[in-house]
Amino acid sequence: MKYVILGNGIAGVCAAEAIRTLDLEGEIVMVGDETFLPYSRPMISYVLDGSEPHDKLPIRPADFYESMKIKPVLGQRAVSLDVENRRVQLADSTCIDYDRLLIATGADPRPLRAAHMDLGGIFYLRTESHVRQQVAALSTARRALVLGGGLVGLKAAYALLKRGLEVTLLITSGYPLSLQVDEIAGKMVLDELLRRGLKVLVGRSVRAFEGNGVVRAAVTDTGSRLPCDMVIIAKGVLPSRDFIPRQHIHVDLGVVVDDHLQTSAAGIHAAGDVAESVDISRGCRWVNALWPEAAVQGRIAGLNMAGRPVVYPGSMSRNVLRVYDLDVLTLGHANPGPEEGCRIVWSGGPGKGRYRSLVLKDDILVGAVLVNQVEQGGVLCALMENRVPLRLSTSRLMAPDFNFACLLP
Amino acid sequence: MKEVIVHPKRCVGCMQCMPACATAHSRTRHLVSAVLETPQPKPRVHVGAGRFNEGFPNRCRHCDPAPCQLTCLTGAIYRHAGTQTVMIDPDRCINCASCAMACPYGVIRFHEDPLGPPGRAVAVKCDNCVARVAEGQIPACVEACKVGALTYEERDTAMKRQTLAVARSMSSGAGEPVLPPGVGLLRTMKESQVQLLKG
Amino acid sequence: MFDPEHSLSVTQDADRLYAKAREDGIETVWERHTAQQPQCGFCDMGLSCRICVMGPCRVDPFGEGPQRGVCGADADIIVARNLCRMIAAGAASHSDHGRDLVEVLAGVADGTAKGYKIRDEAKLKKLAAEYGITTDGEDVLVLAGELAEAMMEDYGMRRRAINLVARAPQKRRELWDRVGLTPRGIDRETSEMMHRTHMGVDNDWQSLLLQGMRNALSDGWGGSMIATEVSDILFGVPTPRVTSVNAGVLKKDQVNIVVHGHNPVVSEMVSQACTAPELLALAKEKGAQGINLVGLCCTGNELLMRRGIAMAGNHLMTELILSTGAVDMMIVDYQCIMPSVGQAATCYHTKMISTSDKARFPHMEHHEFHPDNAEAKAMQVVRTAVENFVNRGRVFIPVEPREAMGGFSVEAILGALGGTPAPLVEAVKAGKIRGAVGIVGCNNPKIKHDYGHVTLTRRLVENDILVVDTGCVSVANAKAGYKMPEAAEMAGPGLKEICRALGIPPVLHLGSCVDNVRILVLLSALADALGVDISDLPVAGSAPEWYSEKAVTIAVYFVASGVTTHLGPMPPITGSMNVVNLLTSGLNDVVGATFAVEPDPEKAAVFLRQHIEDKRRALGLDARRV
Ligand SMILES: Cc1cc2nc3c(=O)[nH]c(=O)nc-3n(C[C@H](O)[C@H](O)[C@H](O)COP(=O)(O)OP(=O)(O)OC[C@H]3O[C@@H](n4cnc5c(N)ncnc54)[C@H](O)[C@@H]3O)c2cc1C
Ligand code: SF4
Ligand code: SF4
Ligand code: SF4
Repeated sequence: MKYVILGNGIAGVCAAEAIRTLDLEGEIVMVGDETFLPYSRPMISYVLDGSEPHDKLPIRPADFYESMKIKPVLGQRAVSLDVENRRVQLADSTCIDYDRLLIATGADPRPLRAAHMDLGGIFYLRTESHVRQQVAALSTARRALVLGGGLVGLKAAYALLKRGLEVTLLITSGYPLSLQVDEIAGKMVLDELLRRGLKVLVGRSVRAFEGNGVVRAAVTDTGSRLPCDMVIIAKGVLPSRDFIPRQHIHVDLGVVVDDHLQTSAAGIHAAGDVAESVDISRGCRWVNALWPEAAVQGRIAGLNMAGRPVVYPGSMSRNVLRVYDLDVLTLGHANPGPEEGCRIVWSGGPGKGRYRSLVLKDDILVGAVLVNQVEQGGVLCALMENRVPLRLSTSRLMAPDFNFACLLP
Repeated sequence: MKEVIVHPKRCVGCMQCMPACATAHSRTRHLVSAVLETPQPKPRVHVGAGRFNEGFPNRCRHCDPAPCQLTCLTGAIYRHAGTQTVMIDPDRCINCASCAMACPYGVIRFHEDPLGPPGRAVAVKCDNCVARVAEGQIPACVEACKVGALTYEERDTAMKRQTLAVARSMSSGAGEPVLPPGVGLLRTMKESQVQLLKG
Repeated sequence: MFDPEHSLSVTQDADRLYAKAREDGIETVWERHTAQQPQCGFCDMGLSCRICVMGPCRVDPFGEGPQRGVCGADADIIVARNLCRMIAAGAASHSDHGRDLVEVLAGVADGTAKGYKIRDEAKLKKLAAEYGITTDGEDVLVLAGELAEAMMEDYGMRRRAINLVARAPQKRRELWDRVGLTPRGIDRETSEMMHRTHMGVDNDWQSLLLQGMRNALSDGWGGSMIATEVSDILFGVPTPRVTSVNAGVLKKDQVNIVVHGHNPVVSEMVSQACTAPELLALAKEKGAQGINLVGLCCTGNELLMRRGIAMAGNHLMTELILSTGAVDMMIVDYQCIMPSVGQAATCYHTKMISTSDKARFPHMEHHEFHPDNAEAKAMQVVRTAVENFVNRGRVFIPVEPREAMGGFSVEAILGALGGTPAPLVEAVKAGKIRGAVGIVGCNNPKIKHDYGHVTLTRRLVENDILVVDTGCVSVANAKAGYKMPEAAEMAGPGLKEICRALGIPPVLHLGSCVDNVRILVLLSALADALGVDISDLPVAGSAPEWYSEKAVTIAVYFVASGVTTHLGPMPPITGSMNVVNLLTSGLNDVVGATFAVEPDPEKAAVFLRQHIEDKRRALGLDARRV
């Protein structure tokens, strides 16, 4: 049996490890664009803020490929996929045959379309090499501009603030984290960052950069000029699925998978940021580009590929953000639109040091936001995954003393 | 392999396991001196209150597969090969709290720990007292528990004991093994009180 | 487990003030109760022992872990010792309160207690006679001095029995002598109780509990009874009068002073000071229309009974009342004053004053009141309160006050009956009144605030059972409207008829928690009228929301006096089924009464009605099926 895994991110790594628990002999080839050891991608923002050194990034030992008997093919991307002949073609035109294929190519930063993107000092924040360059650029940087009020944007802004830079955050929607949390929690995060000196501009985007070799200013769509010597672009990510033939494999936003993480083509699985699975709390297909999902999907895909059928229960958005004295944990469908018929209950809020909101649909918990006291988040998450109507009152779930024992019969 | 087994019906909510656990994970390992340490050692077992205010000793189940391990962003959570204990490497942990949203039991806490890196908060949870066990002691919480709500034994032994108890009381015509009358009486009262509070 | 979705109280003022308190960031008893969950099961069952330092010890109720303390005490001994120490603490509290009143009486006699005087000479003479002091021709002050001396001897001197035991029906006294329950001295029984529970003294759980009963009787027929009687002598025997209750008694446009605690020694002086013309003038100057003194808890009951002073609330209202922002000063003496109130007050302009050398509190100013300086001290603190009026912030008075009638001393009740218990006895015999229940005791966050009191009262009154109440219960029932003659409408037909005829409410307010002794006196009068023992009467006691050691002692002296008594919350005894069984059934053979525990007041009402009908049947009266 020959397994080929495209992508050596956490999904690919977990898949390889899962395969090895069942199949000690089969051949495993891992194709990866990045040459660095498998590493913690989320940790790069900690490297940026200086709390962790770059050399702590790897999450597997140096002999990982060797000990797992994996053949690494690193430093280039797969460029096309021949489903009928079970063959992958790489950038240097070599071809690799497979019996089982895993697409775990993750995601790439959504590119920004603006003039003079080639100036120095303009970065995305996705890879260890990005962060290495950013850390090197810090010594000469004073004023930073961060584009995008999502999770990565906030982490970048927080990191640069911690490094002592003057930071301006540009967000297009009304408040940060608008995809993850509701307005109240978003405001609490924003207040915390503003209190620490962050500048925020809302409803504006960048049209062009100016500079001489390195960036000196950004020009917004309203024509104003924002002086800066470092820019981090964090406008979200797009699944890396350009090389996938859409006539053979169903691709929507991501690569669509079934409940065994198989794509519409037999023998081809997908996992991680590139995959589009059913979101448990939303009840529809969704790309949840998250580390825990990538790890679990990788593991389950690997098991299925190696012959043990394991069902994937579906994905769920969830995230934690810690900025200064604020911990924000979001679960599931935390910020539904008014048309979705959800009931939202909440307690606490700005000035209270604590906030919790719960989103219910037909008495089933589908979303939650916790600001501070986040330890019991996993218990709520388990409730959401189980999708059973709540037996406890929502006020009990929100009470400070809520704990696992409350759920016992 | 012996492990800590929780018998929730027996917990009387005295919380004695909590200081015992904290002391076992202090630098000085004595209650009197442990409370004076900075950072303060903290318990890794958390006695929570159930629906009727009954106690429940909540500690890591050392799940397999462990959701926290799969979620950990840095690979700080691993399984100790010998004891199957799910452990957190405090030096790898970046205190991101991702594991908090993975653990379905809510047993992970985040704080600076006497046994972790100085000056930095990390994720902390039950480590099955591997250090004590290596020294030939039983886990601290089990030692502290005087009602048998926490025992340290082979899972099989515990199961057998339970089966035997059921068989005994069934054959003596008593039906399901019942709680001692005083315990049962107090629980009935407390349940009734809590029901009334809500009514 | 506290669930914020459900309200905490059956009263509107509590719910509204709770919301206000939380908004203001005040932590209340409910938050702390939640934070304490789960509460320790060993302690809840009475199975933990801290008596000696070979321990602390605990016994595993499941039978596998340790079954004896280090000393060898088993569950029965440990539970009994713990319960007995609660009784001793309760008895000590009431009796020490009584002693303080005797001190004032002695001070009046020798002229050092300025501002206090003998208000009821008749009662003084009656008591003196009971104490065997010749009264004819004696000067009142001399008499007072001699009575004070004799009462003090009840506390300490070597006696066969304390004096007021003589008030009990003869059959009861004979029973006590037979079983060895006759209390010999007030302090003596408490001391002996503490001695017996020392490691290695009394290790028979039954004899421990017998001493517990004797100790409780030394309170009921001793310390508490002295407290009530001397209060009557010094401040007057209560007579029925109408006043108002609930948080609405605070006035937006007046200086509000709240007295909280138990002992009338302080609050009576404060009440005098509040009428001083110079202070009223000062109040006007500060922009207030007057000085509004209101009570909380039992010191409030003392004032309500004798002066008709308004009552702001009971135990669980003591923190909430501060969140009105309208309290210019709270003056406390002792007992049941949560150490948290001072902290809660820091959110408002409220000045907090502690007054007793025995009782100090965080975040309070201490102004020690003694019999010789109380008058002057009272003027001084009331002045400060008046001056504080101008510092008020936002004021929130959640409800309108409600009218209530209090002041039913035994003398007043007999007065209403025409001087003898005969009409009451006739009404009971005729079955119009089935019997009577004394509902007493505290609040406890384990029970929805006032739910136990009000529900039980409603069910009993509906079924033609006369209710007498004291302490926190009386506040609950007053707020619920049971204390006006019109409440007769809520009573069953028989009780309604009697109430209408006499113009009294179906629920009679007998006073504070030391005033539970008025119930003993009343029952003795009824028993004597019928020529039976107290345990033969169709009566019962109940403490639906009790929390304190004092309440344990009261319940025990009720039962030891022959009154079967219901408890809402379970006392910490379930660790020993021997103790449970003795208290809930075995005692019947000893004192003709038992305890019953039932948190649900609806079920408790059924039990109490059943009990009363059984007693009626035994007396040869008609009995209903319950
Ligand atoms: C700064 C930052 C912070 C984050 N924080 C969090 C967080 O707190 N919590 C959380 O849950 N998630 C977080 N994430 C997201 C998380 O990192 C991703 O969900 C996770 O890494 C996805 O793993 P993956 O294996 O699916 O994809 P990736 O990690 O993207 O790995 C895919 C790999 O495949 C390579 N590749 C791409 N295309 C090809 C190709 N055609 N051929 C060969 N190789 C290819 C890529 O170069 C990459 O190395 C964060 C991400 C970033 C950037
Ligand atoms: S921390 Fe939680 S999820 Fe992890 S092993 Fe323990 S119980 Fe399981
Ligand atoms: S807090 Fe530590 S242990 Fe938990 S997920 Fe983050 S790095 Fe891992
Ligand atoms: S086993 Fe050890 S670490 Fe785990 S809860 Fe018990 S005492 Fe604490």
